[in-house]
Amino acid sequence: MWDLFISIFVNVLIWIYDVVGHNFGLAIILFTILIRIVTWPLNAQQMKGAAAMQALQNDKDWQAIQKKYAKDKEKLAQEQMRVYKEKGINPFGSCLPTLIQFPIIIALYQSITRALASTPLDLLRLSRSISLPNVSDLIPLNSKFLWMDLGRPESVAILGFALPTLALVVAITTYIQAKLTMPASTTPGDQSAAMSGMMSIYMPLLLGYFALTFASGLSIYFITSNVLGIIQYAMQGKANWRNLIPGVLKRK
Amino acid sequence: MRKKLIIATMILFGAVFLSACAGGAVRGMSWPGLATDGQTAYLADGSFVYAVNLNDGTELWRYPGSRNGKLTFYSPPAITPDGLVIVGSAGTDHSLVALNPADINPDTNAPVEAWKFSGAKDHWVAAPLVVNNKLFAVNSDGNLYVLDLQDGQSVKDATVVKLGGRLWAQPTTDGERVYVTSLDHSVIAVNAETYEVVWSEDLGGAVPGSAILGADGMLYVGSLASKLEKFDPATGNHQSILDAKNWVWSTPSLDGDTLYVGDVDGNFYSFNTSSGKLNWKPVKPDGPITASPVVQNDHVLLATESGSIFAVGNDGKVLWTQQIGGKIYTTPVAAGDLTIVAPLETDFYLAALDANGRQVWTFTPKN
Repeated sequence: MWDLFISIFVNVLIWIYDVVGHNFGLAIILFTILIRIVTWPLNAQQMKGAAAMQALQNDKDWQAIQKKYAKDKEKLAQEQMRVYKEKGINPFGSCLPTLIQFPIIIALYQSITRALASTPLDLLRLSRSISLPNVSDLIPLNSKFLWMDLGRPESVAILGFALPTLALVVAITTYIQAKLTMPASTTPGDQSAAMSGMMSIYMPLLLGYFALTFASGLSIYFITSNVLGIIQYAMQGKANWRNLIPGVLKRK
Repeated sequence: MRKKLIIATMILFGAVFLSACAGGAVRGMSWPGLATDGQTAYLADGSFVYAVNLNDGTELWRYPGSRNGKLTFYSPPAITPDGLVIVGSAGTDHSLVALNPADINPDTNAPVEAWKFSGAKDHWVAAPLVVNNKLFAVNSDGNLYVLDLQDGQSVKDATVVKLGGRLWAQPTTDGERVYVTSLDHSVIAVNAETYEVVWSEDLGGAVPGSAILGADGMLYVGSLASKLEKFDPATGNHQSILDAKNWVWSTPSLDGDTLYVGDVDGNFYSFNTSSGKLNWKPVKPDGPITASPVVQNDHVLLATESGSIFAVGNDGKVLWTQQIGGKIYTTPVAAGDLTIVAPLETDFYLAALDANGRQVWTFTPKN
């Protein structure tokens, strides 16, 4: 089943690669846009869910039950579920779309390494994944994109030092996206805001580490996805640009 | 607190899962490389190159003495006339080393490095070609490196011939020219003395196998365009002589004017180079064929991805089969009465078969 999933990714990537004139970097960018379009409703649901959860933190009823049942966790959970139900909020509405990103990232990573086939065994496996006709003239795919080899981690030699530029760009764009989408909080001890704050630190570090370690084709996906995410939030008027200014934590 | 835990778990899960895809210097990254000098089998498999006694399948030594995360081996070793074993790494360290089996370090039980070449930019997949005092070594960086074997230097320099594409197959020579195949779909002839490119021809598909010189002086090569091509080695003029049903991965084998080759659809062909016709209807064993056929006295041995060895007679009839297990992609090697097979996805790394296909011994490295 998982292999079928990878095969679909590989075939779409190779098809785009063929259409755009044998440019695998461009194929990854277009593929990311495609993924973003397909997962657009999920992202919209995530934003909606996050906003609803944020609004709930400032709700007087919600704050009242937090105080009232602070020492009775079971009752608190029951009351929280009641409020979720009344207000039509899915408490996992903002988490599920994020979770769905993980299999996509893993599948894309495996698809990139399979499509670029750096070993004989990889190339043989690639032949089993392709269901497109007449692709033998495309194989092996051209892994060069700008200054990068998309099948390998990227770095640029500057003054004898290998600077991982893509990893830095991945970390920065992930940080910007996380900050822009971080809802402002007016409530002290707001769990949701604390969680978002934690994510805005951990995710750039994690994805930056991935970019540093894995094939640079994956970094192209991260950067494109982050930029598209920022654009999507901005287009919907939900980007919180003030969060990018150090020291400004709360929206007036 | 619970939400923090969920997020931390999610991130950790993602990191571990993705990290698991990264691979490393482990067995199974690609199929092993295998060679023999008639006394010893040399197996390049994952983190080590093993020397195995052909008499009983015991390990004589391994290189390096202890695991080095930068070294991965799967290119077939080459053996020089003076007994050096030359092998390239496919790890992050792209060195090509010559090992001296006559000089074993007693502390590590690893052979001493006679010399090392570190000038390549990518991994080594192909076995180098030894011609007199020269070594012709092709690398995945698209370069042909020519090394002088008699300069007495322990750190080698090389003449670099830029050819392009990924070069995964051992070069072939007729003494006058060196023929190199490339994944960029080309077959290239290089002057063996001046190292100038004499001709380069596009086959319309990647060429992961070597070219082979026939008794008729012609050059034969298969490709992922699913064709077998015949070349005039002097001019590079070529024509397709066989349409296979799928990719031709392996180097064809020759027995007089009979050429044997398999495809990844699992078809095995016997082609008469004189008449230009198939000797018999293709044999269909039990799986895809990436290994080259091994010509024996009155039959040909054929290894399949399904883990079987088939002995096919000159008339196309299957004489015997032996299920080895795992998957066989590596071309078996013949050593005296034995045939050595290096399967993947098995507990053992090597199996020795006698002339009737019976298993004589297996080799499994200790620790």
